[in-house]
Amino acid sequence: MGTRPAALFARAAEQAGKPDPDGRILVLVQLAGGNDGLNTVVPFDNDEYRRQRPSLALGKGAVLRLNDELGLHPSMGGFKELHEDGALAVVQGVGYPNPNRSHFRSMDIWHTARPSVEDKRDGWLGRTFDANTGQIEGKVPAIALGTGRLPLALVSTRVTIPTIKSLKDYQLQMGDGHAGNLRKRRQLMRELANKPATGEAELDFLRRTSVTALDTAARLKKVAGGYKSIGEYPQNGLGQRLKTVAQLIQADLGARVYFVTLNGFDTHADQLGAHTALVTELSTALRAFYNDLKGHGLGQRVLTATFSEFGRRVKENGSLGTDHGVAGPMFLVGDAVKGGIHGAHPSLKDLDQGDLKHHTDFRRVYATMLENWLGWPAKAAVGDAFKPLDLV
Amino acid sequence: MSKPTGNLGARAPGGWTRRDATHLLWRAQFGASGAEIARATRDGLTKTLDRLLSPQTESGEFQATEPLLREAAYNSGGIGDLKAWWLHRMHYSANPLRERLTLLWHNHFATSNAKVRSVPAMAAQNDLMRRESLGNFRRLLHGMAKDVAMLIWLDSNANRKRQANENFAREVMELFSLGEGNYTEDDIKQAARAFTGWHVRDDAFWFNQLQHDTGDKTLFGNTRNLDGGDVVDLCLAHEACPRFLAYKLLRAFVLETPSAEMIGSLAERIRGHDFEMAPVMRELLASKLFFSDTARHAVIKSPVQLVLGAFRALGGRPNLQAAGQLMAQLGQDILEPPTVKGWEGGRLWITSATLLQRNNFVAALLNNKLGNIDEPAKQPKAGTDFYAELLLARDVPGGRARMEKYFTTASGSRNERLRGLMHLVMTLPEFQLT
Repeated sequence: MGTRPAALFARAAEQAGKPDPDGRILVLVQLAGGNDGLNTVVPFDNDEYRRQRPSLALGKGAVLRLNDELGLHPSMGGFKELHEDGALAVVQGVGYPNPNRSHFRSMDIWHTARPSVEDKRDGWLGRTFDANTGQIEGKVPAIALGTGRLPLALVSTRVTIPTIKSLKDYQLQMGDGHAGNLRKRRQLMRELANKPATGEAELDFLRRTSVTALDTAARLKKVAGGYKSIGEYPQNGLGQRLKTVAQLIQADLGARVYFVTLNGFDTHADQLGAHTALVTELSTALRAFYNDLKGHGLGQRVLTATFSEFGRRVKENGSLGTDHGVAGPMFLVGDAVKGGIHGAHPSLKDLDQGDLKHHTDFRRVYATMLENWLGWPAKAAVGDAFKPLDLV
Repeated sequence: MSKPTGNLGARAPGGWTRRDATHLLWRAQFGASGAEIARATRDGLTKTLDRLLSPQTESGEFQATEPLLREAAYNSGGIGDLKAWWLHRMHYSANPLRERLTLLWHNHFATSNAKVRSVPAMAAQNDLMRRESLGNFRRLLHGMAKDVAMLIWLDSNANRKRQANENFAREVMELFSLGEGNYTEDDIKQAARAFTGWHVRDDAFWFNQLQHDTGDKTLFGNTRNLDGGDVVDLCLAHEACPRFLAYKLLRAFVLETPSAEMIGSLAERIRGHDFEMAPVMRELLASKLFFSDTARHAVIKSPVQLVLGAFRALGGRPNLQAAGQLMAQLGQDILEPPTVKGWEGGRLWITSATLLQRNNFVAALLNNKLGNIDEPAKQPKAGTDFYAELLLARDVPGGRARMEKYFTTASGSRNERLRGLMHLVMTLPEFQLT
């Protein structure tokens, strides 16, 4: 084979599924309330599991086996398929030292990545944006969907991050009037913004951003109007929110991070039914999201990750539920992940006050997402001490 | 003290134009109506500044409504109601510069009800900032050190003799008086000890003597049994303090990136007036610098300025609750700033998402979805030049002709065509600037 120009190599690399790191996207799914990891990734053959959970233990025959020891909750068929596709990474035993069992404090710790001090001035992603404002000026670095308040993880002391309820919030609304007038005005708005640089720095910045905004809205309108998901999304909240995320990604909005939440994991009583409904929603929604993105050729560009503020106590409580615990699994989904189970399942005998001990600090997973995925230094978010894991 | 010189020297008298008046009013209050601009054009600079800087009697309607809104917030305990109370003040008060400065100090001493969780405490802090808005920063900083909302916000009850909590001591230097780089970590430790026992009890400041560290502390070369008040005085005496305030005032009122020289000359005036704000503001707003070309249209409007300014210019009465929510969506949730650093503002207000939302606000405003504005057709002179002068007060090379053409060729009633014209003017990138 003779020599080939560099551009061809670049194209070949692209076709081989290695996109420009600037185009990579992280979708965070928060499982709020403390997900019971033990009944999500189940050590079905472990006697201690059955002994500690006489009413809540999931049956050996029912779980969806990942290997000879571990199986997924029986309602997580979607995750099982992702596993078979090699598109699911299970990171076991994630937590942090001196765990806090308060929802609020522990969630703050996950959002700020500051376990030892209570400093809520910004979040781990917000700090990263602050350290890279040059790269994101005028762009939307992240979007939170369906939350009223901006999640602390995205709070930045310098950058405004939008929270949107639906696609409507990202459209140009023209108000009432004759259709012809509206059309002319829409056109004129772009023309009047799309002027050559004046040397007035703020005005030039506003003009550039205006043109981007108007073009993005137009593209989004087109995408939303004719959007055909590949496969169906489940009719549940998380599924619909992720469908919106898929549309925003399709419209090439430029955001690097999306944040969605699934509430209700605080299962202190009558856990079985509630937890089944939650993991069903999680599993069906993420499976549909993955299929849709893959169908649109975006499987290599998007990494979806779940997290929860803590796992739950090993021993079930007296009301057929579980109380606040410590370590739990995180899930990473996408074509770029190194599929499979990462790390040992935490011991059910060597406990910390009745809770599973963590062996992997969540800040290493954050460092992985930042450095190995988004291509941003992890230092601002987690400091120097946490090295990325081999997950993507 | 002697008169200011250089950049801060007084603007040359004469040549006072309508655009000068518009520039002054947009910066000193939350936008300007046509009637206000006409009056300031007639009155000239000195008389307009007299009115902005000296207390004006509030209207009967204001005096009747203001206490009702405040009471409603106390009764409901909802911070949204207190936001509405403050937005009402910003929009209807006869003393708008006081409200502008109160908002500036709210951003400077950024305290959020998300943690304080008390309408009365947030209202009391707001009152303090308003009282000293054109008063004295020395009294304001001393007041803040004992303000209940601030003490809760920065964990003062956790600041104990044997276990100092540095939160307030750090922010009093980093964010409230000196700025980063003008103190050491040891200064913070020493100052934290001086503030030990400055606690809250029964919703009031309480000096908890048992938890106060009475040992010697050393701050900026002074060693003795310092208490919190001494720390505040030492910060005020520090040479960095007036410079830090000058930077804040210049960014809020004059331009995004003030030069070291501008900061230096304003800091000198602040020191000279011993932190009295009224004479400092008078000199700043009358200066050559303030009316220079570099200062015109050089500030990106905050969400509060954008939303209230649009209503004020068009003679509108906003739905205060909806306006507050909209500002929050645009990134400025008053009384609930995201962090103790407040809003950095400037270009960071603007993303493609917030810019769309800013434009969508204009469409909603013109369709009376957020409160009522005056019928444009009632305004006999309404037209391209009229709105461009009212809302932009600047040239838009090539733009006016295009908009005029739209106005003359659009279909529908005069009202609809005028609304379309206003829509175009207020979605120009130029409209984001003041």
